[in-house]
Amino acid sequence: MAGLELRGVRKDFGSVAVLKGIDLSIADGEFIVFVGPSGCGKSTLLRVIAGLETATAGDIHIDGAEVTRTAASDRGLAMVFQSYALYPHMSVHQNMSFALENMGVPKAEIARRVERAARMLRLTDYLHRKPGALSGGQRQRVAIGRAIVRDPKIFLFDEPLSNLDAELRVATRKELAALHAEIGGTMIYVTHDQVEAMTLADRIVVLNAGRIEQIGTPLDLYNRPANLFVAGFIGSPRMNLLPADAARMPRDNFLGDAVTVGIRPEHVQPCAEADADLTVQVDLVEQLGGETFLYTTALGCPGDLKVTIRIDGQSALARGDRLPVRLRREHLHLFDSAGLACRPDPIPARSHA
Amino acid sequence: MTDMMRLPEAAARRPAGLVAGGAQALMRLTDPPMRALQRLIGAARMPYVFLLPNLVFFGLFVFLPIAINIVFSMTGGTALYPAERPYVGAEQYARLLDCGSYLDPGSCQEDLFWRGVGNTLTFTVFQMVAMVLFSLGTALVLNRPIRARGFFRAVYFFPVLLSPVVVALIWKWILQRDGLLNAALTMAGGQKILFFVDPGWAMFWSVFVSVWAHMGFYTLILLAGLQAIPRDVYEAAEMDGTRPWRVFHRITLPLLWPNLLVVLVLVLIRSVQVFDEVFVLTGGGPGTATVMIVQYIYTTAFANQVQNFGLAGAASVLLGAVLFVLTMVQLFLTRRRSS
Repeated sequence: MAGLELRGVRKDFGSVAVLKGIDLSIADGEFIVFVGPSGCGKSTLLRVIAGLETATAGDIHIDGAEVTRTAASDRGLAMVFQSYALYPHMSVHQNMSFALENMGVPKAEIARRVERAARMLRLTDYLHRKPGALSGGQRQRVAIGRAIVRDPKIFLFDEPLSNLDAELRVATRKELAALHAEIGGTMIYVTHDQVEAMTLADRIVVLNAGRIEQIGTPLDLYNRPANLFVAGFIGSPRMNLLPADAARMPRDNFLGDAVTVGIRPEHVQPCAEADADLTVQVDLVEQLGGETFLYTTALGCPGDLKVTIRIDGQSALARGDRLPVRLRREHLHLFDSAGLACRPDPIPARSHA
Repeated sequence: MTDMMRLPEAAARRPAGLVAGGAQALMRLTDPPMRALQRLIGAARMPYVFLLPNLVFFGLFVFLPIAINIVFSMTGGTALYPAERPYVGAEQYARLLDCGSYLDPGSCQEDLFWRGVGNTLTFTVFQMVAMVLFSLGTALVLNRPIRARGFFRAVYFFPVLLSPVVVALIWKWILQRDGLLNAALTMAGGQKILFFVDPGWAMFWSVFVSVWAHMGFYTLILLAGLQAIPRDVYEAAEMDGTRPWRVFHRITLPLLWPNLLVVLVLVLIRSVQVFDEVFVLTGGGPGTATVMIVQYIYTTAFANQVQNFGLAGAASVLLGAVLFVLTMVQLFLTRRRSS
């Protein structure tokens, strides 16, 4: 296990800059998730850390030692690939023991480590099988097992759950969390699925267009997005972002210089007409049983202003219904003309309580 | 008038549409007779109607010659018309297989046939080894991100497009007594080598020229196999700290094995059939050093003063049997791979 430090890491492919100066410190034993839209550079950043791509500029330090130009095989890291990248002609046992054979580990020790990992990942009955004879979830576990047996300094995961179906993804996500709790290694995990990011991470790194937008704990990012990008990216359904003058709120005592107001769907509340900040018309109702999402259009506002509302429980509202709503002041996020969150932060210290 | 002027313009804009339209018109034209035929013979027999043109073609140019060849192999004399040839049973086969020792062609009644068998075996073994080594090596290099990769891929494939006779003539021009290679050797202060007088050199160059001419094709098969190996498997091997030789030995070779097997069997089949390149290059010489089975069949049937079609036919049938077995092996391996 080890910590990782990136200083001004850049990666260019020809004239295209994919990483535009990444500074990041990861502590020993942390579970860090890189999240961002497609093409934001999160997988490239992971591959640069792994040594599969060479950084164009900047330094990478693992446990204090500079490894920027060190070969991938000499960095002591293990990676779980999106496609699992298992050796199709080798059995599960051979897949897991291959790296140890390369390292010259004695056979008895190899057998011990493989058996331990197989037991941990419930693969003991499949050790003689080839990857082609395994289900997606089992292959995924073999890929993780292959990483575990090496006892690496840092585990790297490149969207490891994206090829699994929804049910298996949830189950494997829980297993990964349990695994981190059990072996306690430093883990860096790339995903575009914010549910994975929110549930697994100690800290999330939000990337956009080759830059870090914000680093923080999952609730930090949810409750105190540093800018419009993070506000819109973290949370599902996404945060409502409205022009500051759309709501009937007195500018002087609350909004200040804010240009954009952000509010999460669960913080938009139906209310009496007299208390309303907005009146909306329902376009679509999604009943999920325990909660209901209303996709609406604000009335009396310039443009086609969409507002998403989350209501606990079930709702009798239907398409075309009009609804006065109130934006809960204590949960408003204010952004200036540059898209940065206005300070003082509208969220009180309660979010860290 | 305006419409007439627009029509060609529209057709030029939509050539694909025009072709499709033509095809549809043809379909409409053939529809009534096909429907009538189907009513006459029933839908179940219609597939055979569509197969018929190919069957006739294959029957005339493949199956009929095979049948005539078998008839020739069981008849004697010098007449060309089968009905005029006396039936001799397995006599021609017995003559071919009549040997004191199969390891000593001199002890055989048809010693040239057995020399051809021996030469073909030698050629096949060297050809297989050289072809696999060179095409694998070339495919491995061309699979790497080298400069001008597309250019080199084309260069290695070009000889495949040449006629074997042209290939042999080019190399004959290079290798003959006063050829390009000997001129270069002399200029470098060396001695001329009479490549087509020495049996060893003649066999060496026969194999070399054949490998040079066909390597591109096998390189292409192996290159396709190499490119089918997922990149992330190599990246996983890199993360696993695998040294280059071990990557080749433990990852590349096992994953390329199905392609290699197909290449091996194809080279084997084509080596056994070798004729034109070697015949034009060496004429089978010096002496009988590079006479191959097919050359024996050709000379026995057409080039000798006494044209022995029966003996040549029997040798063809024996060669055909060997090729049939090898082709079955190839089909088995290919199907196993695709399944």
